[in-house]
Amino acid sequence: MSHLRREIVKVLFQRRTYVGWAGLVAIPIIMTVAVRLSTDKPQAGEGPAFLSNMAANGMFVPLAALAAMSFFLLPLVSAMTGSYVIAGEAELGTLKTLLTRPVSRTGVLLAKWAVAIMYVGVGMAFVAIAGAVAGWLVFGLHPLTTLSGGQVSVAHGFGLIALAYLMGLAGMACIVSLAVLLSTLTDSSLTAAVGALVLVLVLQALGQFSYFDFLKPYLFTSHFEDWFNLLRQPISWPPIWKALVTFTAYVLGLIGVAWWVFRRKDILS
Amino acid sequence: MSPESSSLSTGRSAHEPCADRPVVLSTHGLTKDFGRLRAVDDLDLSVCRGDVFGFLGPNGAGKTTTIRMIFGLIYPTSGYAQILDHRVPERRQEALKHVGGFVDIPAFYPNMSGRRNLRLLGRMYTDVTEARISEVLDIVGLGRRGDSRVAGYSHGMKQRLGIAQALMHEPELVILDEPTSGLDPQGMKDVRELVRELGRRGTTVFLSSHLLHEVEQICNRAVIMNKGRIVVQGPVAELRPTDMSVKVLTSDQRRALEVLRAFCGTGAVVDDGEYLDVRAADDAAPEMVRRLVAEGIDVRAIIPAVEHGLEDFFLETTSGADSGTEPAGADAAAVPASEASTATSSGGTEPSR
Repeated sequence: MSHLRREIVKVLFQRRTYVGWAGLVAIPIIMTVAVRLSTDKPQAGEGPAFLSNMAANGMFVPLAALAAMSFFLLPLVSAMTGSYVIAGEAELGTLKTLLTRPVSRTGVLLAKWAVAIMYVGVGMAFVAIAGAVAGWLVFGLHPLTTLSGGQVSVAHGFGLIALAYLMGLAGMACIVSLAVLLSTLTDSSLTAAVGALVLVLVLQALGQFSYFDFLKPYLFTSHFEDWFNLLRQPISWPPIWKALVTFTAYVLGLIGVAWWVFRRKDILS
Repeated sequence: MSPESSSLSTGRSAHEPCADRPVVLSTHGLTKDFGRLRAVDDLDLSVCRGDVFGFLGPNGAGKTTTIRMIFGLIYPTSGYAQILDHRVPERRQEALKHVGGFVDIPAFYPNMSGRRNLRLLGRMYTDVTEARISEVLDIVGLGRRGDSRVAGYSHGMKQRLGIAQALMHEPELVILDEPTSGLDPQGMKDVRELVRELGRRGTTVFLSSHLLHEVEQICNRAVIMNKGRIVVQGPVAELRPTDMSVKVLTSDQRRALEVLRAFCGTGAVVDDGEYLDVRAADDAAPEMVRRLVAEGIDVRAIIPAVEHGLEDFFLETTSGADSGTEPAGADAAAVPASEASTATSSGGTEPSR
């Protein structure tokens, strides 16, 4: 616990923490304002998923924001957060300050990884809250029409939105873990961030071509939209479980390798 | 001009000097390769309880690499370090409970105050109280700036904060890597006084430095390291040879060489092409002249070179370790004595005081 507390204090003392969160919060607000003010309302199938539903029901703002941000902005924030974990401290020189204390490297790494995921999670919670509040103020909150055509209450709808965000976070945890691994391999957080982001974009590109369809179930990036299945009636669980199993396998694999590298790493920074 | 005449130990016979005092820190065959470069080569040393131990060497000698291995930051290629009863790297965590210090330039979280940095790091030990943090900030002279952000600290202030964090949990062993580097003369004086005070209170200090007079001033024992190896180790008082050197010009240098070698020993006289460079006890000059004159050799000049302090000894040992060629001390002696003395006592980077 002391590891976690220390890492949280460090995150709260960085200005970038708040810049990152502010940037995330801005997105649903911008989306709401843009849809409200535009005379030419987006039609179904236009723009990111759920965008066309927003004007009729503010409940769709957090869902549209999640769909819109899942492919670039959230991966970017996740990559930057994860990449800072070890390499950022190496750049500051504080990695050696930290590791000349009687602490286990495993504890340090796991605490940093957990706090990085928490950071992304809190950022996503802000997005959900900002989206819900903006949607409520501008479009009003109404019972949610599911993808199957039925309706669920506002409270039930918020439950589904929360689950969708948690699933989105599980996907982002893969990117955080990938960035943490790269962060243990280099002393430059920028290199780690760019590396993680490029890998994510490459995986996404692979998913775009039908030739690589056989790979698709195994790429974590192919499951970023699987939370849509939460909005069916009844909820279509099998793709959701598959996605969660894939995310878990990636997270455990990546953080396992990161641990193995960091355990014996020579700290020369 | 080799250190052979001194009673100092070299290489492996490193583990007996503590007698009845417990060994606080030792290294055993400690070796580190970076690719094909051997940065630290089979290092054996021991630091006894209460020592203020100087770890000397020119830049690139392997001092910082050794300290990183002692802290468990890097893994030795072979060998190990031991702090009290705990081997590093195997029992690093246990060992580090008894150690405070820093390696290289101390680094902190820039957006936090000095005090908050200490609080954050202090929580990694069992009993660092708020009062203790204030106390160590006062000890290092940061009492009034402790609540400012580290981002605004000068290099010297960070160095002081580095010492504060080394002391806050009252460790048995304090390891300081060039603690006076980058400090102004007053800062250097303060830090040296602080280290002496630690020694007086019985804290064992392991201090690396490339400034020899610093080690002479504050340490009781020292090793000199060069190219990853220990060149010599022993009590600092014995590190300073008592002899001096003179340059002798005579009417017959070839015969004078024989006469002086017969008197002072073969290794003590070197013909540098112009003068005979003679190393002898500091009261030997009159007898040398008498013997030369008795042999019918005219003495045209006898020039006192430089007194052999630890600087010369250091230069000799560190330059002589990799080749058998002309020791650097001879170069120092070739300039007029007054200049040579200034050049060697300034310690290179520090203004002489």
